Amino acid sequence: MAKRKRAAILPTNIALLQNLVRRDPTSYREEFELQFRHYESLRDIFMENPSNYDGEEFAELIGFVSQVCSCYEAETANFPQELADILNNHHRDLKEELREKIVQSLTMLRNKDVITSEFLIQTLFPILVSTNSKPLRSQIYSNLIQLVKSANTGTKNQKLNRAIQALLFNLLSDPESNGLWATKITRELWRRGIWDDSRSVEIMSQAAVHPNIKVAVSAARFFLGADKERDAHQEEDDEDEDLDLAGAKHRLEINKKNAKQKKKLQQAYKQLRKRNGPKGPATYLNFSAIHLLRDPQGFAETLYSQHLSRGGNKHSLEQKILFMNLISRLVGVHKLTVLGIYSFFLKYLTPKQRDVTQIMAASAQAAHDLVPPDAIQPVVRKIADEFVSDGVAGEVAAAGINTIREILTRAPLAIQETLLQDIIEYKTSKAKPVMMAAKSLLALYRDVAPEMLKRRDRGKTAAMEMARGEKGAAAQFGTDLGVKGIPGIELLDAWKEEQANLVDEDGNIIEQTEEDGWDIESADENDSDDEGWVKVDSDKEYDISDSEDETKGNADDTPLAEGDKQALSAEEAFLKIAATRVLTPADFAKLEELKQKAGIEKILGKTKASLTHEEEVDIKTLTGPLKFKQLREERIAHQAEGREGREKFGSRKGKRDDADHSTTNREKARKKNFMMMIHKRDVQGKSKMSLKDKQRSLKAHLEKQRKKGF
Amino acid sequence: MSSKITVAGVRSHVKSLVEASESKKRNFLETVELQVGLKNYDPQRDKRFSGSIKLPQVPRPNMTICVFGDALDVDRAKSVGVDAMSVDDLKKLNKNKKLIKKLAKKYNAFIASEVLIKQIPRLLGPGLSKAGKFPTPVSHNDDLGSKITEVKSTIKFQLKKVLCLAVAVGHVEMEEDQLVSQIMMSSNFLVSLLKKNWQNVGSLVIKSTMGPPFRIY
Repeated sequence: MAKRKRAAILPTNIALLQNLVRRDPTSYREEFELQFRHYESLRDIFMENPSNYDGEEFAELIGFVSQVCSCYEAETANFPQELADILNNHHRDLKEELREKIVQSLTMLRNKDVITSEFLIQTLFPILVSTNSKPLRSQIYSNLIQLVKSANTGTKNQKLNRAIQALLFNLLSDPESNGLWATKITRELWRRGIWDDSRSVEIMSQAAVHPNIKVAVSAARFFLGADKERDAHQEEDDEDEDLDLAGAKHRLEINKKNAKQKKKLQQAYKQLRKRNGPKGPATYLNFSAIHLLRDPQGFAETLYSQHLSRGGNKHSLEQKILFMNLISRLVGVHKLTVLGIYSFFLKYLTPKQRDVTQIMAASAQAAHDLVPPDAIQPVVRKIADEFVSDGVAGEVAAAGINTIREILTRAPLAIQETLLQDIIEYKTSKAKPVMMAAKSLLALYRDVAPEMLKRRDRGKTAAMEMARGEKGAAAQFGTDLGVKGIPGIELLDAWKEEQANLVDEDGNIIEQTEEDGWDIESADENDSDDEGWVKVDSDKEYDISDSEDETKGNADDTPLAEGDKQALSAEEAFLKIAATRVLTPADFAKLEELKQKAGIEKILGKTKASLTHEEEVDIKTLTGPLKFKQLREERIAHQAEGREGREKFGSRKGKRDDADHSTTNREKARKKNFMMMIHKRDVQGKSKMSLKDKQRSLKAHLEKQRKKGF
Repeated sequence: MSSKITVAGVRSHVKSLVEASESKKRNFLETVELQVGLKNYDPQRDKRFSGSIKLPQVPRPNMTICVFGDALDVDRAKSVGVDAMSVDDLKKLNKNKKLIKKLAKKYNAFIASEVLIKQIPRLLGPGLSKAGKFPTPVSHNDDLGSKITEVKSTIKFQLKKVLCLAVAVGHVEMEEDQLVSQIMMSSNFLVSLLKKNWQNVGSLVIKSTMGPPFRIY
């Protein structure tokens, strides 16, 4: 084919023109204007009759103009607005390809910074919530998410976030509109960690009380599960980003050395530096959605009245359980007072109830130490009555006792003494899960309130502590169960005392420990902080601080008699140590060690009711591991497992396996000379027997049978 | 920035803090506050903390306290010179949210008799616990006066929605030694609450109400 001139092909070959225009906008201005006029005329034709217009050429031109419009800003000033108008007014009638092209072009214009993000969102968002076309919705949705994501990389673009959040709020405040999109978008952005502020939580809390139950349910799911999703997403990301620095270096050595490879290596270095840099990754505020609520009390009350107490009849059981779960989490985490919910639970707490374990978990979550005992006691009593008796299956009783234990960890006053003692009687139960559950309840009360137990159940440690008066004052309602003072500080004090005595002989020791104290810290720290710590430590002048003088002073002041005396009580020790000196990291490490030695840790372990009210109740801890009937293959495999490394059971007759043994009678009989055996009855057989012999043997046989009892 | 905290350093900062407040006298008793910034702390994964300690001195002597009591406790409160309310007074509030909010605002802390405290959530609703001022119980055997000082001198560390917190640890008219020991005690206690102790502490700053801040860590 003859080579044609470029100009001849230009009007039809848009792709080529696009390429040329971008290289040299000024000289191709005329060609562009021609195409632009073409676009305008096509647009007018389209506007005449939008519904049955085949817009293939039109779509192509739109793509072209949006590609090059950054080169001719004056001519195309109205172009984005026109696109937006077409999309807004006619998105229902447009052909799918054309629609897709317009959305694509708008996004491209945004990427080229021809239009602002706000403009794009204002255009696309109304279409997202109003259109019926699924592909269009998913296109717009992914575009929006991508847009917000790119706008928020690096620093957060608060202005844009605010604008979108305002749109979502408006969407939710209108009960007719499709509020599900608000929850969907917020949830996705939360999952990716792009939105993590209280405003986005506020959107969800508004969605949770939306009249449309689907919206409300999706919001409730958000509060219950979004944070786990976010964690999982982040872990995925971390794995993806595993840097392969060595690999990149190696590749650069082997492969052709070009700019691209070098750039890759540099980027890898840069990322590594960023991650290990002086600041490390930016501190990321990882509060869960429930913690960020503005008015948890009001929120929980509205949820309760709207979805459970009054409006609950419309909902299915799954939905109701979801809201029970959410409200109880709120009540537990924020220590709210929603007294209605406890009597609400009563109705559902029966063994026959479907999904009762979830309801039990919810009722346990709703307990905390500021619930008045008379509100929560009925719940405990009801569980005890319904679940814990001799007549029910072991698993049911175990689930009941476990639930009671979970409630009581959070609110120790929620049970009467007699009931508690009755339940603890189950510790001798034959069923293992019941016995375990009762024992764990017993262990809990040995810790929190041994005086409520029977004398013989208290155990040695608790009884001794009671005798010493450390425990046993019945906990009052309203007392703060949180941490008070530094546990085990008296041990540290005693240890210091010993150390101080050593110092009298050798004055250097304390200085040594002091310096070590901060050195341990620097060894633990990552490199970034290291320099700070070490530098100061090496500064000798700095080390001579008041605290050393004072500790030395203390050691001198304290008369020997006091040194011999029993260790100080916790409060005095706290006053003495904490007020006069700085506890160094080494001190804390020592404290930890001393506590473990003294066995304090065990008591202060997980049963301490300080912050358990914030935790979720896992259903598995209530029911224990579920056992399903095994399949045949599983059973056989299980049996085979048990047989491993042992011989088959059964008779050992004729199975002498080792060679070193004497000949058996059977072997002897086999090898005996035949001539010696030929006359025997065994060999001759019945047929050759004489009649007399036959009669005799028959007689003997009958006699034998008679004796056996036949 | 000093990356190590020493008693001497704290003492010198306290000195300059007190000087700063004396150079410009205010018409009220300035409170000294300990401000803490945390670092390397993931509020979701690390357990959130809360704890309270009793300091040897009352950090804010002008704290207002109200006693909810039965007849005996109301009388005792009057003799100590503290405001008191009886059950009937509380019932008069009639669960009115505004009135309860006003009540919660009016006082810094509340104390309630043992017999009464169980009814408080029913009588007053969530208003008090929302304000973080749920009453402390007192029994008839306890000495009301000492209970009041105990409540006044107890400070509470609790993480809210941000990674920083502040507590009042003293006032400018305390003696220097006392102030230093109060500061040391509360910062030691706070550090003991944190999972990684000092590694979780970003900064410690002391500041009087109207004065400039001094960074001690």
